[in-house]
Amino acid sequence: MTELYTDGNHVAGLLAEFLAADMTSTLRRCQSCHGEHAIAEHRAYQGAGAVLRCPECGDVALRIAELDRDVVLEWRGTYRARRTG
Amino acid sequence: MAGAAVLERLTTRAPLVWRVATVRETVAESARARTLALDVPGWPGHRAGQHVDVRLTADDGYQAQRSYSIASAPELDGVELTVELVDGGEVSQYLVEEVQNGDEFELRGPIGGHFTWSVDDGGPLLLLAGGSGLVPLMSMLRHRAAQASDVATHVLISVRSEADRLYAAELAALEPPDGLRIAWTYTRVPPAGWSGWSRRVDAEMLRGLGPGPGARPHAFVCGPTGFVERVAQLLVDGGHDPRTIHAERFGPTGG
Repeated sequence: MTELYTDGNHVAGLLAEFLAADMTSTLRRCQSCHGEHAIAEHRAYQGAGAVLRCPECGDVALRIAELDRDVVLEWRGTYRARRTG
Repeated sequence: MAGAAVLERLTTRAPLVWRVATVRETVAESARARTLALDVPGWPGHRAGQHVDVRLTADDGYQAQRSYSIASAPELDGVELTVELVDGGEVSQYLVEEVQNGDEFELRGPIGGHFTWSVDDGGPLLLLAGGSGLVPLMSMLRHRAAQASDVATHVLISVRSEADRLYAAELAALEPPDGLRIAWTYTRVPPAGWSGWSRRVDAEMLRGLGPGPGARPHAFVCGPTGFVERVAQLLVDGGHDPRTIHAERFGPTGG
């Protein structure tokens, strides 16, 4: 049961549609543990929408879902995001 | 200057939209996997390692969506996906067993910038595949071949048995051979007379394969989630810098 997740790569299409940018390389600093990891390295749990969790502490990082024709994004588990040059 | 660079980045980035893909050709890769060569009008090109989202729509409007890695080199026209059958998987079953030349479905991509490599990124390369996790790594190997790059590239492919191998003949003939090392390990049934590795990937295997952490290889690990977690941990335990390890996880069963 511990292997039911995929990773942030699998949410990249939906994120890119919403944010008009590839987010997989973006480094996200977790609000809970302050660990910094690329979005691609986050655990992704998919159901009716997707939940990304911090690969270090497991806390919720980001939620994204398609509701009818809308895409809804919530990222309150994120302390800071950084795009490297 | 910085403003101009930002503007260029914003304007040259192709929008991620759903496009119609038409199946041009299908090739059986194994008993459970098939390559689909697709024509995708307006396709902006891709980088090795990227994937696409595929969306199928039934007559009653029901939609199903999955991610599949691109197998073909960026240098090739169109897009090739290799899809492996997942037990009970409604999308993979359609793509592996039912879809025919001329059929259409929707595709969005290319997607992903983290799990990508081009010859400009240099090497050495360490490519570790579990089963059909080989697909995006194959795009990197085909890109390397198309660029005639002799960047040091060590590949380890873990499969259950000979019947599960993908691209075996092409891998054996990949150019240029300089710097290229390809190894297989069989986790259930090795081929008759096989004297190579026949166990799950472990630390000793990775040491034997090389390159070690001192060479700071770009490591790409792709496969089922359990495989990726275990192998990535072996790399970290073996001294590889986590920042040099790129991973892509398929979930419990793959594809």
